[in-house]
Amino acid sequence: MNWLLVAAVALPSLGAALAWAYRGERQAHWLGVASAGAGLVAVAVLPFGREASGWWHRLDLAWAPSIHLDFALAVDGVSWPLALLTALLGLLCCVYNALGAERSSASAPLQVPAATVATGGPFPKADRAVGVPAETTIAAASASGGTRQAGVGSVRTGRTAGAEAGEATAEAGRVSPVLTSLLLAVQAASTLVFLADNLVLFFIAFEAVLLPMWAIIHRYGDPAARRHAAGKFALFTVAGSLLMATGLFIAVADTGTAGLGAIITAGGVGEPVSLLVFALLALGFAVKAPLWPLHSWLPDAHTAAPTVGSVLLAGVLLKLGTYGLIRVAGGLAPDGAAEAAPVLGALAALGILVAGLVCLSLPELKRLIAYSSVGHMGFVVLAFAAGTEAGVRAALFGNLAHGLVTPLLFFLAGAIKARAGTGRLSSLGGLRLAAPRLAGLLGFAALASLGLPGLAGFWGEAFTVYAAAERGGAWLALAAVAAFGAFLAAAYLLRMLRRVSHGPVAPAAAGIGDVSAAEAAVWTPLVAGTLLLGLVPGPLLALFAEGLL
Amino acid sequence: MRAQSIDHLALLPLYLAAAGAVLALFAGRAAKAATGIGLAASAAAAVWVGLGPDRATFAVDEWHSYVADDAAMGAAALFAALALLVAGLSGRQAGEYWFLLAASAAGGIALAGARDLVTLIVAVETLTLPLYVLVAKPGREGAEAGVTFLIASVTSSATALMGAALLYAAGGTVHLGGLPAGLDGAPAGLTAAGLALLLGGLAFKLAAAPLHAWAPLVLERAPLPVAAYLASASKLGGAVAVIWIVHFGLTDGAAGPQRSAGIVLAVLSVASIAVGNLAALVQRRTVPLLAWSGVAHAGYALAPLAVLMTAAGRTDATAAASAAFAYAVFFVLLEAGAFTALTAVRPGDADAGGDDGTLRMQSGQATGAVRPGVTEVHSASDAAPLKAGMPDAEASGTGADVSIRTSGFADTDYREGPSRAVVEVSAASAAERRTSRAPLESGGPPRSDLSRTATGGGVHVPRDGGTIQVPGEGGRIAELSGLRKSAPLPASVLVLAVVGLAGLPPALAGTFAKVAVLEVLASSAVWLAVVVAAGAVVGLAYYLPLARTVLLGRAAATGKGRFALEVTLVGLALAAVSLAPRLVLEFTTFTQ
Repeated sequence: MNWLLVAAVALPSLGAALAWAYRGERQAHWLGVASAGAGLVAVAVLPFGREASGWWHRLDLAWAPSIHLDFALAVDGVSWPLALLTALLGLLCCVYNALGAERSSASAPLQVPAATVATGGPFPKADRAVGVPAETTIAAASASGGTRQAGVGSVRTGRTAGAEAGEATAEAGRVSPVLTSLLLAVQAASTLVFLADNLVLFFIAFEAVLLPMWAIIHRYGDPAARRHAAGKFALFTVAGSLLMATGLFIAVADTGTAGLGAIITAGGVGEPVSLLVFALLALGFAVKAPLWPLHSWLPDAHTAAPTVGSVLLAGVLLKLGTYGLIRVAGGLAPDGAAEAAPVLGALAALGILVAGLVCLSLPELKRLIAYSSVGHMGFVVLAFAAGTEAGVRAALFGNLAHGLVTPLLFFLAGAIKARAGTGRLSSLGGLRLAAPRLAGLLGFAALASLGLPGLAGFWGEAFTVYAAAERGGAWLALAAVAAFGAFLAAAYLLRMLRRVSHGPVAPAAAGIGDVSAAEAAVWTPLVAGTLLLGLVPGPLLALFAEGLL
Repeated sequence: MRAQSIDHLALLPLYLAAAGAVLALFAGRAAKAATGIGLAASAAAAVWVGLGPDRATFAVDEWHSYVADDAAMGAAALFAALALLVAGLSGRQAGEYWFLLAASAAGGIALAGARDLVTLIVAVETLTLPLYVLVAKPGREGAEAGVTFLIASVTSSATALMGAALLYAAGGTVHLGGLPAGLDGAPAGLTAAGLALLLGGLAFKLAAAPLHAWAPLVLERAPLPVAAYLASASKLGGAVAVIWIVHFGLTDGAAGPQRSAGIVLAVLSVASIAVGNLAALVQRRTVPLLAWSGVAHAGYALAPLAVLMTAAGRTDATAAASAAFAYAVFFVLLEAGAFTALTAVRPGDADAGGDDGTLRMQSGQATGAVRPGVTEVHSASDAAPLKAGMPDAEASGTGADVSIRTSGFADTDYREGPSRAVVEVSAASAAERRTSRAPLESGGPPRSDLSRTATGGGVHVPRDGGTIQVPGEGGRIAELSGLRKSAPLPASVLVLAVVGLAGLPPALAGTFAKVAVLEVLASSAVWLAVVVAAGAVVGLAYYLPLARTVLLGRAAATGKGRFALEVTLVGLALAAVSLAPRLVLEFTTFTQ
């Protein structure tokens, strides 16, 4: 059983390597899908034969003892759901790529890779004309973009005939397998973060997520913003992870061991350094989570990233921050966490409020969803800061729910943007008439996101407010702010729905295709998960209860 | 006076490297082979001796001047291997080139075993002296690099010697083993001054601020293989010298000298991190970027030693020295990887970017007699004219490439070159004659001979080590764009090395180095850990664009991979230490 832990990490890595090695062939996608699927199976069977308490399974191989580095993997009720979520999202993204869902959806105009100024295309920020019948505009744009792309391709071919020509056509037609490879790399590294039972390994895995994600944004992102967004993402993340590393190493020096479980069971680091450790760790994880005011990389990165990139960012990468905060920061320095709780709680509540207000006025679909993540993560951090048992469980639950709902929203936003050619709320409208099933799904996801009872988003947010209120005193104010933030979330999500789904059919939305079979296949697990968590939260809460915290 | 019994086995690596050097002088055409065999045997011997029990020799009382323990032999093997790598990258050179290279490697091996101040400084000088000649390519550019290096080096040597003298005055011994006891109770001011001068002088080798300014200029203008040597083996020498003094000479001693050394090292470290990172941010050319970032890395390597200034740090000084040594080793491996890949893809010749060849050629012809130092050695040893056969003589055929051969160490047979090339050579040399009296201040970065001719060669170019970008010069980062397609192997090694220097997985070698340093700093000097972290973040801002250019660039780079064997070996070495860091950490971990 222990080797399944290795398989959960190794299979996606292998898939990444294979997809990269065979990137010239169309089957490469399916290699990726197969390995991601195998990885999901490996994670899914982990609960069988588990220990009654503490780690379910544990594996420890010496790697570099002199720097306290062991290849130690372990899993329990706290990390397993997140690892499962990671594997599931990884698989869905790979399938999405393999089916080319965004590009081959029925009757939707094919989205050509936008020609940039550099490749001779129009200035990408210049919005396509609004008011002209959509199909002609986009067809014209794609035709011109296509020919320009082809022109560039042929020039290059003349220079270095051969491999490059193949790549150019592959890029013009379908998603590149390299994207699948990078996605799998992110998946493997994230799984390693969730399963690591060694602080140095945890840090290395945390860093390993960065480069593939950076490459996804930088290479496959929105041409107008990707450079800036990718750079910002990388700098913020590395700054955070190095501060976190410093905190981790102080803990290692203080306790003399780098075993995560061992330190948690021993009650964390000594009192004198506890606050310092927690402050450094919390700073590092707050960048990743992200916690206001360290969130400013997030809207840019999400908006610029390709759909699958946004999905992984929201569903997996943000979870690294909250998982680290709850499990590592809270586990290593419980005393420091208790001391710093008011600050953390206040920042989280402020973040909820700010995110809600900003979202009310954002004009772009994807950016709005991205910014709403800041609010959701604020709930998670607030619940953790409250520190009660209900709070920590609410944090873990909200974390997981966000990991199902927001990826679904990003998938939908990506589909809408690909079809309509724009994500501006002012240019969209009437989706309810043009593509009823798409609009229905968007409504479902939005309702889940704003915390409608019976859907996944509800439990986390409701119990966050409850946990904060439970502590009384000034925490009541924070609970009130959070409740108001939930109200704001309802306001901005309903505003989004009104702009996108309702009203007369906007030109951009006219004649766009409804949900294709491929898309339905990819989105169904997320919808099912959202319903399941919303209706039957008990088993998951029970898993958290037996976790090592 | 009793006779010393000398443990010749401990000295075996040194003997072999020195033998390789001497053989190179007499081996004629087989000089390269002789050097290679000598260095390889030396590396193997170092590994063999290192795997055996620790040895020591040249004893005075209980202190030894030369010790062959794990750390020393690991460093010695690395010196020999790096010299071997540089030899592989150097293409065809005259006999004295190999002699100088092997002599420098022998200096490094002696340094690794040195345990007294005199041996240490003599070894550092042996390591450095041959480089005065090697860095100086014929021509004004090369001469300037050589002179800069010479002056900086001599100054720092004098500084280090002064420091050593003061320490001797204070401690009464030159043996590192005797210093802890000797310095206990010695005048604090004298000790502090001695340590500051000694460490500051030796930090020159490491290119740590404030004695860093030579590095970007010299690295850029030296032939690329020599630059690779300067950036790897030579820096390892500086790191080893500093770490040996701190670890063997101070850790067991009194708090006062340790605190002084710690403060000196903290200043050096923070200054290097700040200066190196900020300057690297604005570089547009690859080699200066690596050189400036190397300054920052020198700061990271020294940072763990700086914990000596705190009481908590003094209790785990051994761990600090181990971390510094581990960082230095990982760093020089990554630098070696980066420079190897760069050498392999630099178009035209083995040692410089294309266009400045003409310039050097003309200088070589017009001022042939002034060729620094090499001419005499050459005629004395091996007068047989080598064929004009740099590895890619046929492939090139531009004026620039042919001219390089004419300016090289070998006598050139013009008739062997394509006739067009000869014409170009004469045309170019005519151009040079027109401009050969160009004002001395035109000693900036190499420029294309077109622009040089057009502007009359009198353009004032600030001598700032090539931060000014002139269109058409060689070595710009942008020229590496699309390298992944034109030369996949060097490109992947370059990316691996650059990502490793940035400290990111999957190039785990760099990550391990960072972890080793941060672990030491986190336990005793958190503020310095934050400085290191900030430096690494800034580093990302220039490493990532470099990696992006190589990996994702869409332009068609012209560079073609050469030296496939060397590049492969370096790549394998980097992969090996990434997967099995214990290869390095075993010998860099000191036991006390």
